[in-house]
Amino acid sequence: MTSAPEALLALSNVNTFYGQAQVHFDLSITVARGHIVCLLGGNASGKSTTMKIILGLVKPRSGEVTFDSASLIGLSTPQIVRRGIASVPEARRLFADMSVRENILMGAFVRNDRDAVAQDLDRMLTLFPKLGQRLAQRAGSLSGGEQQMVAMARALMSRPRMIVMDEPTMGLSPLYVDRVLELIRTINQDGVSVFMVEQNASLALEIAHEAYVLQTGKIVLSGPARALKDDPRIRDAYLGGSEAA
Amino acid sequence: MSSWFDYTINGLIIGNVYALVAVGLALIFGVSRLINFAQGSIYLVGAYIGWVAVMQLHTPLPLTIIVVAAAAALVGLVIERFGLRPLQNSVRIAPLLATIGISFVLDQLVMLTFSPNPRALPSQLPDVRFQLGGGTIGPLDLLIAGVGITSALLLFVFLRYSKLGWAVRAASQDRDAAMQMGVDVNRVNQAVFGIAAALGGVSGMLVGMYYNQIDTAMSLQATLKGVVAEVVGGAGNVPGAVIGSLLLGLVESYGVAVFGTSYRNLFAFLLLVVVLVLRPNGLFASTRQAPPEPLTGTFIAPSRPLRIPRWALAVAAAIFAVLPLFPVSFYVLQTLINAWLLGMLALSLTLVAGTMGQVSLGHAALLAIGAYTSALLSLTLNVPVGLAIVGGGLMSAALGTLLISPSFRLRGHYVSIATLAIGEIVSLVILNWESVTRGPIGISGIPPLTLFGYDLISPSSVYWFSLAVMVVLALLQGRLLTSHLGRSFRAIRDDDIAARAYGLSLNRYKSLAFIFGGFAAGVSGGIAAHLYSYINHETFNTQQSILALTVVILGGLGNVVGAIVGSVALVGLPEVFRIAAEYRILIYGIVLLLLVRFRPQGLLGTI
Ligand SMILES: Nc1ncnc2c1ncn2[C@@H]1O[C@H](COP(=O)(O)OP(=O)(O)OP(=O)(O)O)[C@@H](O)[C@H]1O
Ligand SMILES: [Mg+2]
Repeated sequence: MTSAPEALLALSNVNTFYGQAQVHFDLSITVARGHIVCLLGGNASGKSTTMKIILGLVKPRSGEVTFDSASLIGLSTPQIVRRGIASVPEARRLFADMSVRENILMGAFVRNDRDAVAQDLDRMLTLFPKLGQRLAQRAGSLSGGEQQMVAMARALMSRPRMIVMDEPTMGLSPLYVDRVLELIRTINQDGVSVFMVEQNASLALEIAHEAYVLQTGKIVLSGPARALKDDPRIRDAYLGGSEAA
Repeated sequence: MSSWFDYTINGLIIGNVYALVAVGLALIFGVSRLINFAQGSIYLVGAYIGWVAVMQLHTPLPLTIIVVAAAAALVGLVIERFGLRPLQNSVRIAPLLATIGISFVLDQLVMLTFSPNPRALPSQLPDVRFQLGGGTIGPLDLLIAGVGITSALLLFVFLRYSKLGWAVRAASQDRDAAMQMGVDVNRVNQAVFGIAAALGGVSGMLVGMYYNQIDTAMSLQATLKGVVAEVVGGAGNVPGAVIGSLLLGLVESYGVAVFGTSYRNLFAFLLLVVVLVLRPNGLFASTRQAPPEPLTGTFIAPSRPLRIPRWALAVAAAIFAVLPLFPVSFYVLQTLINAWLLGMLALSLTLVAGTMGQVSLGHAALLAIGAYTSALLSLTLNVPVGLAIVGGGLMSAALGTLLISPSFRLRGHYVSIATLAIGEIVSLVILNWESVTRGPIGISGIPPLTLFGYDLISPSSVYWFSLAVMVVLALLQGRLLTSHLGRSFRAIRDDDIAARAYGLSLNRYKSLAFIFGGFAAGVSGGIAAHLYSYINHETFNTQQSILALTVVILGGLGNVVGAIVGSVALVGLPEVFRIAAEYRILIYGIVLLLLVRFRPQGLLGTI
């Protein structure tokens, strides 16, 4: 990696199992402070499990996970969230029967500064103007794209230092895909580091600083996004030609 | 003379009481997808704490309510912390079984402390009645309504405006996502168990005052009614639970008005079964899809079963077979006869619950069907006893399968609820169908066991007979498990969606499992009827269903040898240690709790 800036999140030599089945083999990933890092990989390669390891939803059998130089191993998910990691889970996972407003405010659950939270809610409405008219609506009744916006607003409400996102563009129309990528870039420019999982490599590499390619639990390729974009190996090994950008 | 107005008021008041129980169940189900079978026990504890407060501490009514709520909440917190939290990463059935174990322990502790005799629980309210419309209403009615409405309001404010309330709502919609927002799920669980227990305890106290009587049988009834109301309203749906409760109260009250008191519960359980079959998500859910449940495969602890060599089994069988030839006491034989009878029931349950993954909580009903059939065949039609017992087995197989078949599309918890309800229905039909079953009087003078014209009077002959029947059933079941059929059963249990994709017809295989299991249980009930010579609608009760489940888990779910070992252990060990009868149920509860916590795969392992 080039002139490595300070690491905010680091996974080193992580091995993960579901019962007998090993999902990660000596996985090592670094997210530099202020960067967007993308994890690419096909179905069932272990991408979502990586997110769950970071969030403490799944415990690795061995290896180390550090955030801001402090270990996350052994912490519960709420404790990890309080350290400053917010998440946009796979398939968004909104609280379907709560209103959009309540969903966004749930993102600020770990905060106790009511006034600042109210201000942040307003800020979200300028960042995601479409949500303004939807605040009272049941979150479950929104379209997929709108739900993605709510999930991102919800994650930002905790004022995280890092956001982890699992396939934020999945199932969205091309228009929304562009919008989401643009928002990720905006969020990042405001100083939030981003670790995202994507299947759509060509799109992800557009905005990422670095990327890793995961294949059945092993990192097979990594480096600056710019370099990987033109790397023939990623085209062969992962894109399989179908995603010719 | 009671007017329709009175029946309506009565229905709404009882509905209010059910609501206090059902709302707690709904909160807990929402957050942890668990049907808390200990809810009725907390209700019982609430009633007795109320009694202590009123009769011994002489507290005024408002203070009594607060004392009961606080003490019950404390019990709820203890259950959550020590009974359930350690099971967070266990198989999905573990917490359910734990709540059953906890309810046994709590009920027995109350019974041992206060004796099983009913007590009066005066309400301390003036005994006046106001004329209203076409009927009357008393202060206690108003109190119950007031407590119900106040609790609903408090709960609404809590859920809507407090931070913990938001956490409860978020966790009940998506537990993982809530954790990712920083919600501490343990605190949420604590909160809902505390609230549920407080409401349940107050409810028990109010019911005690309403009927001016409390007794330890209240517990199971309360759990059952709460579960009915909750499922009718849609599991996990708090407002639904309130409406379901009021509906249940009204249905019962009008049912009593038309048909009489003994039909009250029958209506409740019929309502439950109808809702489970037609709208398993409750009356207010928009979809008719099966309720969310984990795949049944994760429901049972996977393990590597202990292989016992055939010769060892043969030796063990031989030792038990020659036992009566030695000078053993009548008492030992009697105990082992009980073990063999329980063993047959356990064989049945281990097939249905273990191999097939349908955790039945109403298995004693199969005993009852077999017992009544065999008794009536031999008494009224003079069918030879041996044949009558086979008839009992066949009737159990047929009727049991027929009764459960509408619920075949249910999974996990819902199977347990449906079987529990069907078990209650069977016992209530026996109670009410007097022309055939002789109703509450029961059947007496059932002829003793005979086989091919020979009376089996001596303990040894009864012993041999029941041992032989059990061994034959066990051998058949062993063959079944290694056959293609057994593999299909397990495939359905482990992943019913995949099994269906391979073209296995779930209904057909579930029927086959219940037919075989029903036969074994029916034969056991039939033999028991001729041994006891008297049976009534309470001879085979829920306690036996739970005892059988404990046996089956002790032996290892699905494990044929385990079912027999478990029966001998649970029937025999209390005798060996000369444990007094009133402590036995307590011990069964504790055994169940310890097993679930430390050895869910049982002694010999699940198959
Ligand atoms: N809770 C679980 N229990 C057992 N196995 C699991 C569990 N979750 C995931 N797996 C398995 O682990 C492997 C990796 O799953 P993971 O969800 O991490 O993949 P993924 O890369 O996110 O796939 P996708 O692109 O489909 O989202 C898969 O084979 C999956 O079946
Ligand atoms: Mg994934």
